[in-house]
Amino acid sequence: MESSDEAAVQKHRIHLRPVSLRDAAPVTLHLLPCEVPVNQPAPVGRFFTPAIRQGPAGLEVSFRGRKLRGEEVVLPPGLVGYVMVMEEKQDFSEGPENDDEQEEQELVEPPEALERNFDCFIGATASFSRFTLWGLETIPGPDAKVRGALTWPSLAAAIHSQVPED
Amino acid sequence: MDLSELERDNTGRCRLSSPVPAVCRKEPCALGVDEAGRGPVLGPMVYAICYCPLSRLADLEALKVADSKTLSESERDRLFAKMKEDRDFVGWALDVLSPNLISTSMLGRVKYNLNSLSHDTAAGLVQYALDQGVQVAQVFVDTVGMPDTYQQRLQQRFPGVEVTVKAKADALYPVVSAASICAKVARDQAVRNWQFVEKLQDLDADYGSGYPNDPKTKAWLRRHVEPVFGFPQFVRFSWRTAQSILEKEAEDVTWEDSGTEDQEGLGRITSYFNEGPRTRPRLPHRYFQERSLEAATSL
Repeated sequence: MESSDEAAVQKHRIHLRPVSLRDAAPVTLHLLPCEVPVNQPAPVGRFFTPAIRQGPAGLEVSFRGRKLRGEEVVLPPGLVGYVMVMEEKQDFSEGPENDDEQEEQELVEPPEALERNFDCFIGATASFSRFTLWGLETIPGPDAKVRGALTWPSLAAAIHSQVPED
Repeated sequence: MDLSELERDNTGRCRLSSPVPAVCRKEPCALGVDEAGRGPVLGPMVYAICYCPLSRLADLEALKVADSKTLSESERDRLFAKMKEDRDFVGWALDVLSPNLISTSMLGRVKYNLNSLSHDTAAGLVQYALDQGVQVAQVFVDTVGMPDTYQQRLQQRFPGVEVTVKAKADALYPVVSAASICAKVARDQAVRNWQFVEKLQDLDADYGSGYPNDPKTKAWLRRHVEPVFGFPQFVRFSWRTAQSILEKEAEDVTWEDSGTEDQEGLGRITSYFNEGPRTRPRLPHRYFQERSLEAATSL
């Protein structure tokens, strides 16, 4: 199991286009309590945003005839959100932005190229520091999964940081 | 009829009413309840009450009010204008239930069906008249569902009032006819002047009667499907017609309460009798499961 996972990781290397992080413009995001199993643009600004109402107990809207209640979630300090998009497979040239990583990589053993023509590239198309979290008929509240998920970076930092030796 | 309050926000419900005639606070009154736009897949459902003193019922009858369905639109408008002229003894109130309210009620986690919504709205309007000081002595209601159980429920809720629930009450009692005219005038006007919440391109108003079996209505629905959002809020998503068009022509949507067919980590019960190793996926730590966090080693 584990070994096959690692093999997969070896095969599908994912590279981030660092320059895209600098250009990412802020965007409004909504996290809905449902899944739409397609990946395509949707006219949020025409259908969804104008229907949002400030109700007595928070934001209200409906999606596909079901009532949603929502609230703003602000990212923890020190974190920035990015909307990442996988680049379409194409022939690519090594951008100058990868120079730093190239140097780091040279310290490691395998002489294999960092970017191979079957690798994937992701780039940020937008950034965010807050988003609207929607619950089906109820406000998601402090127990929402995504709020818990946002505690992971600080926990990860804590467990990976150097323990001072006394 | 001034529906500007509805036009400002038509995502919920909206109550409109005439001033209460002074005589209706002094004398025992008859009150009729009726609705318009229960069946259509488009637009709001309007509930209306109309009331007048028992002593003036003959004057109301003299207006020649009749079941709104037997009248033309201009006749209904004319009769509604007459009722306005008679505001010294005829009062009315409306509850406009937006299609969005109907959809979200019927598609709620706890289903709130159209009959219950209708009964509660009717009872709410009778209560509203009582709260305004109208001396309601008799209530006449055009039935929704079984008249007997509906009558019992209303009678229980309003013990001091004589309640009559009957099929075709809108043709039998002038107060119900008057209520049906108020409801129908409001519904027609609301549909005609519908302020779409959405910013729609290529919007056309050629939706026919709005009834699900009208080919024009169906064609309009098909033309206005949006793959992700489905329809504008003008459409009652809870109607079978709307849902079957979405099933065919829009993207699927899975909700957290849309059924739990496959439980994670569990196979079919017969798998325990099979030979060979059971392949049970190794689950990540509870911390990650509880937060729906997954490793992004592959995308």
